[in-house]
Amino acid sequence: MNSEKVLFSFFMILALTLNFGFFIGEMDDPQHHNVYELFAVIIVNLIATILKFGDRSRLGPMLLATSLVALVQLISAALVWTFAVHVQETGLTSDTMVLIVSLSGGAVLANIISVILLMIETTMLRR
Amino acid sequence: MMKQEPEKQETSEEVINPVISMIMSRMRVPLIILIVIYATSMLGMIMIPGVDDQGNPWHMSIFHAFYYVSFTATTIGFGEIPYALNDAQRLWVICTIYMTVIAWINAIGNILGLVQDPVFRKTRSENKFKHQVSMIHEHFYLVCGLGETGYEVIKALTNEHYRVVVIEEDQESLLENNIYDLQEFVPCLIADASVPRNLQLAGISKNNCDGVIAATASDETNLKIAISSKLLHPEVKVVCRSDLLSYEENMRSFNTDFVVNPYNTFADIFSMLLHTTSLHLIFDWLTGAPDSQITDEPLKINYGRWILCSYGRFGRALYQKFLEHDVEVTILDSNEEAYRNFKQQNIDQLEDIIPATGIDEKSLNKAGIDTAVGLIAGGGDDSNNLSTIMTARQMNPDIFVVARQNLRDNSELFKKVKADLVMQPREITARMIRVLFLNPMLCDFLKMANKQDDEWSNVVVSRLSAVIGDSKPHIWTTTINHKETPAVNKALALGRRITLDCLTTDPLSSTRKLEYVPLLFESGSQHTIMPDDATTIKHGDRILFCGMRESMNSMNWTLTVMTSLNYVMNYENEPESYLLKALMRKRFKGRERRDGNR
Repeated sequence: MNSEKVLFSFFMILALTLNFGFFIGEMDDPQHHNVYELFAVIIVNLIATILKFGDRSRLGPMLLATSLVALVQLISAALVWTFAVHVQETGLTSDTMVLIVSLSGGAVLANIISVILLMIETTMLRR
Repeated sequence: MMKQEPEKQETSEEVINPVISMIMSRMRVPLIILIVIYATSMLGMIMIPGVDDQGNPWHMSIFHAFYYVSFTATTIGFGEIPYALNDAQRLWVICTIYMTVIAWINAIGNILGLVQDPVFRKTRSENKFKHQVSMIHEHFYLVCGLGETGYEVIKALTNEHYRVVVIEEDQESLLENNIYDLQEFVPCLIADASVPRNLQLAGISKNNCDGVIAATASDETNLKIAISSKLLHPEVKVVCRSDLLSYEENMRSFNTDFVVNPYNTFADIFSMLLHTTSLHLIFDWLTGAPDSQITDEPLKINYGRWILCSYGRFGRALYQKFLEHDVEVTILDSNEEAYRNFKQQNIDQLEDIIPATGIDEKSLNKAGIDTAVGLIAGGGDDSNNLSTIMTARQMNPDIFVVARQNLRDNSELFKKVKADLVMQPREITARMIRVLFLNPMLCDFLKMANKQDDEWSNVVVSRLSAVIGDSKPHIWTTTINHKETPAVNKALALGRRITLDCLTTDPLSSTRKLEYVPLLFESGSQHTIMPDDATTIKHGDRILFCGMRESMNSMNWTLTVMTSLNYVMNYENEPESYLLKALMRKRFKGRERRDGNR
């Protein structure tokens, strides 16, 4: 068993599960989407991205790309949140909430692709 | 499947920029540490309860926590924002500061360590070089070896605005020969040129690589470069420098385009001198370095017996020329091996060699210095050569002295000793390579000139000196084709007859003549040396010219711009724009018919 491999997969799957946890719930209800969960998703995604740095496998560039996509989506969601609460001070209206959650939904998709790629690589190439 | 794996690995290495991938893999751990520490610090700041300015309980938001940690971690420290912290928060901030600062130092230290890593540096400079080479879109030459020869060649090529790429193994030569103040930017790779991979890095397989010049000090390396070049890019023109005969033969065996041996080359030059001194003067004018001063007076040589000191590679080559020209010569060489060599090759002329050093009066006397017309100090050691010359000059002040100078640094000394002709192997090599690359037609010209007589040379000297000033004349080759001479091509298509004479008129003023001399005219396989003015130009002809650079520029106007050509040939201008063409069609229809075309 390769401990590095465990860590790698752990963070990728954790990124997906946390992301999914944040995403699930009523789209426009702020009660269903916790800000600390978003914070955790971003941190775990960052770590997952950096773990993919310099990965020389054949699917490495693809994996890195999916992670970068997820990061862009999540950071945009965080920025929207910050804007709504701190800059415009309108608070979390249902419009903003829908935007934030749909952005994180995109990130879920990217993370799913990432995990699928990971599974393909593991089964096909026997790393 | 397992077998294919390494290949794939290699291709992915080629695609991803190695510098970036090196940084990325090295920065993985420090960056993760940094992120984790940031996250913990932010979490702490969020969770610890504080009070706002009105005394209400207050929690920092994620946004404020990120702001706070960002300015503390980077030691900017704006203060306690947005509200003054309580002691519990301050306790956590202390931890935060130390953790983040250490994480940053770790990350920066890692980057610095990577930058100083020799492997990283090599990868980076190679990468930079590769990029520079890939930015060259015009035709370029690859020069291996940045010694004296290499530098001279690069200088000449860049002066003509050719692009050059250099590979040199020794960092020192880069300091000695500054390639950064040349006319064109020259990318340089510090690496062993005999390694095919380095040649490939320098773009040898690229389509626009026109030639390879192997000018390193070692024959072995030059041989390897020549082989690799011919294998990696068969169409490329390869010129090799070679000092030893065995290597020279080897190089020729696999179609190396040119092998330049400085000793044989000098022997050929010397042979010109023995043949007729004005021919040597022509050679010197036409092949000198671009910015060198030229001498007006041909060297004066009396017919008589010569003394040749040292019978090495150089001496052997010269001795052959003496035999060819039937000139009497006495060889001085104290080396037994040289004596044996001589005996083997020239058993009939044994009286020509005297086993003596040639640096002292006694041996020079024995060689009959007082009755000799010329002396060649051709040893491999500069001090010995200088000593020979000085002794000989004392004994016979009128003697013609040819000196072989081995080291560039001794130039001053050879100037002081006033040798009539100084032979520097590296300079000679550079001279030949320059001719081969810049004006290959000049080789044909010199070959043909060698067969001409004394009178012919004198006429050429007077013609040349009429058009050139004090500095070395410019030499250029013009090919009559659509790309280089569109105006001439168009005029030829109209059926006009263009002679060399037409081109000599200054396109700015018809009463003035341009100052240049056509040296060689090539039409198909037929070569005409010093063609006369009435020679008719056809499509595909090549002409070698010699003159001042300004004359070339003026002539290029005539060759490329139709109105200039019309002017020098006394034709009326035709309309160039569509509107005028349409308006004046009637007027010009008649003329075109008269020109006998379309």
